[in-house]
This record gives sequence, C-alpha cells and structure tokens, in this order.
Amino acid sequence: MNKLVKLFTIFISAITLTIASISSSFAKVEGEYIVLGSAISLTGKYSSNGVHTQNGYNMAVDRINKMGGVNVGGKSYKFEIIYYDDESNPKRAAQLAERLIKQDGVHYMLGPYSSGLTKAIAPVTEKYKIPMVEANGASRSLFTKGYKYLFAVLSPANQYLEVAIDLAVEKNGGKPVRIAQAFEQDAFSQDVRLGILDAAKRTGSEIIIDDKLPKELNDMAATLAKVKATKPDVLVVSGHTKGALTAIRQISEMKVDVPMLAMTHCDAAKLSKQHGKNSEYALCASQWHKNLSYKDKFFGGGKKYDKDFKKEFGYAPPYQSAESSAALLVFKDAFERANSFDRDKVRDALKTTDMQTFYGNIKFGPGGQNVAKPMILFQVRCKGDSCENKVVAPTKWASDKFYHPIPKWSERS
Amino acid sequence: MNAIKQKDLILYSGLIILGLVAPFLFSAFKVQLTYLCVLIVLAMTWNLQGGEMGYNSFGNILFYGLGMYLTASVQVGMFFPLAEWTESGGEKTFVHTTAQYFQGIGVGLLVAAIVPTIVAGAIGYAILGLRGHYFAICTLGLGIAAGEIAGGIEIIGAGQGFTTPPFPAEIVDPEARGQFFYFLSFLVLVLAFVFVKYIYGSRFRLILNAIRDNEDKAEAMGIQTMKYKIVGWMCSAFFCGLAGGIMGGLIGYIDSTDVAFDGREMGVFMVLMAILGGKGTLWGPVIGATLFHFFKEGLWTFILGWQYVALGVLIVVIVVYFPEGLMGWLREKYPDRFGEVIDEKDRKAQVEIK
Repeated sequence: MNKLVKLFTIFISAITLTIASISSSFAKVEGEYIVLGSAISLTGKYSSNGVHTQNGYNMAVDRINKMGGVNVGGKSYKFEIIYYDDESNPKRAAQLAERLIKQDGVHYMLGPYSSGLTKAIAPVTEKYKIPMVEANGASRSLFTKGYKYLFAVLSPANQYLEVAIDLAVEKNGGKPVRIAQAFEQDAFSQDVRLGILDAAKRTGSEIIIDDKLPKELNDMAATLAKVKATKPDVLVVSGHTKGALTAIRQISEMKVDVPMLAMTHCDAAKLSKQHGKNSEYALCASQWHKNLSYKDKFFGGGKKYDKDFKKEFGYAPPYQSAESSAALLVFKDAFERANSFDRDKVRDALKTTDMQTFYGNIKFGPGGQNVAKPMILFQVRCKGDSCENKVVAPTKWASDKFYHPIPKWSERS
Repeated sequence: MNAIKQKDLILYSGLIILGLVAPFLFSAFKVQLTYLCVLIVLAMTWNLQGGEMGYNSFGNILFYGLGMYLTASVQVGMFFPLAEWTESGGEKTFVHTTAQYFQGIGVGLLVAAIVPTIVAGAIGYAILGLRGHYFAICTLGLGIAAGEIAGGIEIIGAGQGFTTPPFPAEIVDPEARGQFFYFLSFLVLVLAFVFVKYIYGSRFRLILNAIRDNEDKAEAMGIQTMKYKIVGWMCSAFFCGLAGGIMGGLIGYIDSTDVAFDGREMGVFMVLMAILGGKGTLWGPVIGATLFHFFKEGLWTFILGWQYVALGVLIVVIVVYFPEGLMGWLREKYPDRFGEVIDEKDRKAQVEIK
C-alpha cells in the first residue's frame, strides 16, 4: 500500500509537470504573423467538406501573404492559421474553440464546417469576445441569438431552395405544386426544410412526403419508393455531400421519375464528375459559381479562382472553398480598416464591412448574416459524356435555360 | 491498519486540495479538467457493471444523454416556453437572469439524476435477464435508438439541436463559467468516488462479484441476482445523468446523436477508459480516464486526421498487452503491493514443473 501511494504521488506530479510545461501560449499577433484559429472537420462525416473549407482558407492565406499581406499601422503582417480537427463533432468543436482561445491565445477565429459545429462554437467565441468570421454555418437560428462577434459571409440556409419552389410553381403555370422532401437530421438541412415550408405556404403548395434522413446517410430507398408511388411535382433532398450522392445513386438505380429534383451540395459532391449522366437535370442551390461576374484584386474573378484552385488542389472548387477564401478577404479588409489589433475595433470594422470579392458582395446584417449576396441555382447538364453545372437562376447570372421537366428514365439514353 | 488509514487520508486530502486549486493553477485548462472529472465519473460508474458485475453495458450513454436533455429542458422550461426556445428561426430571444440560471440548472440536475435512475430501473427490469454478448448488443441498441428518437422530437430541437441557456451575462468575469462547471463536475466526481468506495467495502460489491463470477451459483446461494443487477445499474444511471447534465451546460449545444446520445464516442470511451485502467478495481477507471484524456488532448492535435487510427492502435495495445488494464498489470507484476501473499516455495515448485 505504501508503495502504491508513492506510485500515485509520482503519477500526479508527472501530470502536473506535463500540464505546466505545455501551457506556453501563442500571442494573437506574433512577430509579423496574425494568428487565426479554426477547428475544422478533417475526420468524421463532414471530412470532405471540412477539407474543402481548409483548402479555401489556405488558398486565401497564401494569396494574401504573397500579395503584400495585411497592412496595419504602416506595417505588413502575414496570416497564419492554427487548425484542430473537430471530428465533425459539436462537443469536440466547442472544446477546441476554448482551447484555441485560452491555450493558444488566438484572438480571431475562422468558422468550422457546418451549422451544427458553428452553433457549438459561437457561444464560446461570444463569451470571450472573439470575432469569428465563418463561411460555412448557414442555419438561420445562428443569426437570431443576438451574437455580436459572429459574421457569416454566406446567405442563410432557409434561402437555399426557396427559389426552386417558386420556379416549380412558375413552370406549373402559377398553380401550386405537390412537394416531396427528405432532409438529413442536422441543423443545416432542417433549416433548408424550413425555407421550403415557408415557400410552400406562400405558394399554397402541398407537401406530400416529409421524411427525415439519418445523419450517417447512405440509404433513402424508402423515401424514393414513396416518391415513385405518389408522383410529386418536385423532389427536394438535402443532406450535405452524402445526401446528394445517395439521392443521385438511388434515383438512377430505382429509375425514379420526377419532373424536378432540387438539392444542395451538388458541387461539393462533384456530382457531375462522379455520377455523370445520372445526375443530369438535378437542380442545385449554391452560394457561388465560377461564372458569376464578381471581382477582387486578389483572386481576380470566379473563373480565375477556379483555375488557380484546380492548379493548387487538383479539383474544381466547390462553393464551400470559395466562401472560405472570402472569409479571409473579409478579415484582411477589417484589420486594415480598423488599423488596429484591438478585438473590439476589429469587430466594429467587421460590422461595417461592405465590399466585393470574387465570391460575391459582402455586407453584414444585424444578426451577422451576409445580406448582400443572393443564392443561385444551377442545373447539371451534359454534352455527350461530359457534364457541367450551368447557372439557371436568377436570370441576371443565368447562362442557360432551365430544363423542365426532367425526361423519364425510359426516354433517357 | 491505522497506518494505512493515515496514508489514505494524506492521499485523499492531497487529491482534494489538488482538485480545488487546479482550476486556479491551470486556469487555461479548466474546460479540459472539467471533461476529465466527467470522464472519470463515467468510467467509474461504468466499472460498476462492466467490471464488478461482468455486464458490459454500452447503454450508459442513454442515461448521460437523458440527463443532458433533461437538465437543459428543465432549465429552460421553468421560466420560458420550451417549444419557442427550441424553435429554429424563432425571432424571440429569451435571457435567463442570474438567479433563474442557477435555479434552473440546480433543479435540472436534480431531475437529471432522478429520472435516468428510474428509467434504468424500468429498462433493467426488462433487459437485465439477458447475459453476456446479448446484453451488450441490446444496450448498444438502446443508445442508438435514443439518439434517433431524440432527433425526431420537435420540442427539444429535433435535428436542429438544442442550444442550452447561455451563462448569465450579468456575471462579467469570463472565467466564472469555467470555474462554475469545473467545481460542479468536481463535486459530482467526489460524490461518485465516495459512493463507489463505499460500495467497495460493502456486501453489495461481493454480490456483484458473485454475479460476475458465476451468476447461476450466486442465484443458487439464494441471492436475488435480478434485484442487485437492477440496483447496480440504477446507481450508474444516477451519476451518468448528473454527468450528462453538466456536460450539456458546458458545451452549450446539444445535438441528438453527436453530443447527447454519443455512443460512438463517449459511449465507447467510458468502456475503453475503464478497461485501460483495469476494470474491477477502484482506482483503475480513475487512472484509465486520466491517462486516456491526456493521451487524447496531448497527442491528437499532433497527428491531425490520424487520431482515430492512433486510438485503434491504443485499443489493440491495451487488449494485447494489458488485457487486465494497467492496475491488473501492476497487480501481476507486484502482487505483494496489492496485499497478495505469495508462497515462495509454491511459486518455485510451479516454475520447476514448467
């Protein structure tokens, strides 16, 4: 027993020493670096979108640092990001935010991927009064909590597919449509659902199927069987990347005929590449598309961003990457206008942001959401075997006509 | 006997003092320390079934998640309409006053301790007749089912998740929240430890051990095994509920499958920690949880993206080299320090036979 006590004492003191030795902390601005922190999903169910986000951040950091960095007080600073892996888990994300702020001394945060994780981190950044520019938390409830340090460069989630319902009604000769919908059980997709409910109410449309999909999403055959039986006018599916992939895979396998298919995350899922012709005619909500004519001096326009991104990372940038890059442009702009590293001054500068980036116009509303940028819809169209995303709405940006209704599988070659 | 008691006293008072000053000493690590307390509570109470009773339960996460939702719901529901709070896109903002916040969490934790205990009794009555793998699989289903069900109940936020009340804004000190949750979790840890220690010295533990070693024999001896199994599980549920309630408040956001009924992480971790330290011992789960937490916090950020691979390797190493856990390994190496007397002659005789 005696020895055991000794052993234990040694054990405890070893732990104490370890903690004491690792509690060295970074400063918010270290030498010529402005240190930003971000918890990002590198593993778990959001890992592919987490990587899109990280690539977007990294691309912008490189670009800004190469092109002169951030000028504050007559001195040029460079961006640096500390990343942690939040494992797609809100619990972990909240803990890591705390760690970034308290142990790594980060004073400015970049958002994680997905609304759920942003919801978990926002209370922490709010508590420590840390400005956070986030690019991937679109849930409407993020902007009604009265957060003062949260800024989102993207349009809220409920706006994603509302337009699609309007479009369906328009194609139906202004008459209400019958909607079938299936949404993943997570904060973002459920918000997209709320948007559809609003649109349905507004247009008097009827929702005939309203299914919930599990989080680890890889099967929605039950919903599709119902769709086959009830023949709705529109099928709406949202469940991040996996939702988009599952929907297309099973719709083509089960030969489900539906006049209109509206989804989210088609570009992140690389649908047109992975599923080619099977994904043709899918209508997708997107925050950004390379064909839009927005411009800035760092990335040029959307097409140039697309090209540079492909060169750097080997795939076409989904909007998740573009909006993430934009987040850093916003930070740079705010630092320079604040001309200070004082957190509250930077926050005030962020609040008055009004700028154009290659990704779109950015101006924050009272809740912190971007109010200056509309959502767009694109449709997957194929020529021979190569498929591409063509912008079809709003008309200002449309490069192609919206193809409606989707031909039946029996008529498709 | 007295001398040992005195040493124990020094050890325990040392640990309590360490626990009390830790949040001030390592101010930046308060949240991690709170997690540590909660993890130890979970591992220690899991050990009551898995270690002492021989019933490997993956279902304790059910009580943890239940406690989390209950605490938050009570805390909100006592003062505001719960449905409006959780309604996403709701335009109204509700703010708890300082008094409301603490009253709410107090009552909430009480409910979070009692209800899961009752639920454990009811479920235990139904499924504790299963043994071995059947029980393990059945409890695994419990956690998953609870997550899916909670994800469909609108009033607690469904798939949107449930944002728990923010810490009262009137308390301006940003450290206060961390300290509050740390001391709360430390209190629960001390309670749980005292309770488990008490059980270790009681007849109840012997009965649990008897059930583990041979349930049929135990029953033949006249022990009403079912009754004891249920009571054992209820004890765990009580502390799991409390732990969940604290974690809900600390994290600030409850998601049905990722935070509350998080069988994939917390549910597995509590088993892993108990096994790592050595199940069936008092200190095993404590040491296991501590080591595991340090491994996780210290190493994981250095191997970004590979941490689950590392965790897998850790599990393999534990199972292959320390099947009885660290305490079991130590016990085998230094049996005399655990009060086991070895007959040297007998040992030598055995070696010669080999």
